[in-house]
Amino acid sequence: MSDMAKSIVFAVCMCIVLGTLLTTAATALQPLQQRNLELNRKKNVLLAVNLVSRDKSYTREEIMTIYDKKIELFGVGQTGAIVEDDKISEEPVLPIYLYLENDAINAYIVPIDTQGVWGMISGYLAIDKDGSTVKGFTITRHSETPGLGGEIERQWFQENFEGKKIVDKNGTFVSVRVARGEVERQVPEEDKPHYVDGISGATLTGKYLSEGLKQILSKYEPVSIRFRDNRVEMPGE
Amino acid sequence: MKLTRTKTFKAFAAPAWSNNPINMQMLGICSALAVTIQLKTAFVMTLALIFVITGSSLIISLMRKIIPGNIRIIVELGVIASLVILTDEFLRAYYFEISRLLSVFVGLIITNCIILGRTEGFAMSNPPHLAVMDGLGNGAGYGSVLLSVAFLRELFGSGKVFGVDVIPASFYDAGYENMGFMLLAPAAFIIIGLMAWLQKYLTGVDGKDQ
Repeated sequence: MSDMAKSIVFAVCMCIVLGTLLTTAATALQPLQQRNLELNRKKNVLLAVNLVSRDKSYTREEIMTIYDKKIELFGVGQTGAIVEDDKISEEPVLPIYLYLENDAINAYIVPIDTQGVWGMISGYLAIDKDGSTVKGFTITRHSETPGLGGEIERQWFQENFEGKKIVDKNGTFVSVRVARGEVERQVPEEDKPHYVDGISGATLTGKYLSEGLKQILSKYEPVSIRFRDNRVEMPGE
Repeated sequence: MKLTRTKTFKAFAAPAWSNNPINMQMLGICSALAVTIQLKTAFVMTLALIFVITGSSLIISLMRKIIPGNIRIIVELGVIASLVILTDEFLRAYYFEISRLLSVFVGLIITNCIILGRTEGFAMSNPPHLAVMDGLGNGAGYGSVLLSVAFLRELFGSGKVFGVDVIPASFYDAGYENMGFMLLAPAAFIIIGLMAWLQKYLTGVDGKDQ
């Protein structure tokens, strides 16, 4: 057999062996990985409304217990009315998580899925029942550049959002944006409640995230307006 | 023959100390900067690297006589990359939090020049038992530097060792502060530089011999 043929045969065999090995491993471990991702997702929903702390570690059961007790998933119709899960198929709805404290809504949580620089940025933005104050923000997944845009996963950046307003003084929707640099120095006084500190070296990530938040929040405006006017009704119990 | 004179022992000991991949050869520094803020991540990274480097050295050494010379680098990379992906999948399934902290750096073990260097430079031309010892030695050499750097950075940067507070509260009351600089990448550069200098001084290598 010529050298060339030998190399090709060897390469093909390698590919088959390694391919089989990796596929087997990936398939076998997938259920566990999915379980971890699901738990991480729930933990982040809880983080967004400060039901768990970033500094502590929790067991799987603890997260599940708090989640099942306090968080419920509903849909939001086009008029902003909150509808039951089982009606979700009847009209186009947006998913919304409600944080319930003694059967009263304390805050609502909007899932964020938006384009970043290199891939999707996913997370949750929690808004207080007043419909305008950001209660918390978490990132569950992103593929931004580590050390630059990847800093969005840092605690300080996420905590940055707490207490910001998505509406201005007159009650008009303005969303919340990532500033270029520090809010203190870069943003005029009247806009400060709507800006969070940016990350140096990650201007683009900030821009994408700001745009994404604006788009997503504006879709949720109908329900936010209802919260502001204090006329949210829980779907028929 | 004394144990320390055997070829097997030398294959392990040389890279672990006198020919340390980081301090003496200045390889694999990028990951040493990235994962040494805490001992925990440095420890897992060390284990992952030892697994990958020993495994790939063994596999390549076993196949060294049948690997066609013209595609050997690709074969080596294929083996290394597969082991790295296996490690990554394993961490994501069983040690989710740590895999999040290590983020891309487990995947980047593939590009760690130490591993390709050892498979190409040693495993391709040595029998399996020596290749395994060489892999373990390099893993130990890399890991010892990583853990030392992480120990210093975690101790002075966050006042902790393996996540446990060790600086007594009375120190903080007396005005002691954690060095924020230790948490930044340049701190690792400086520590590695000092360690390389110390080791070269201790082993009597002054650069002129090379």
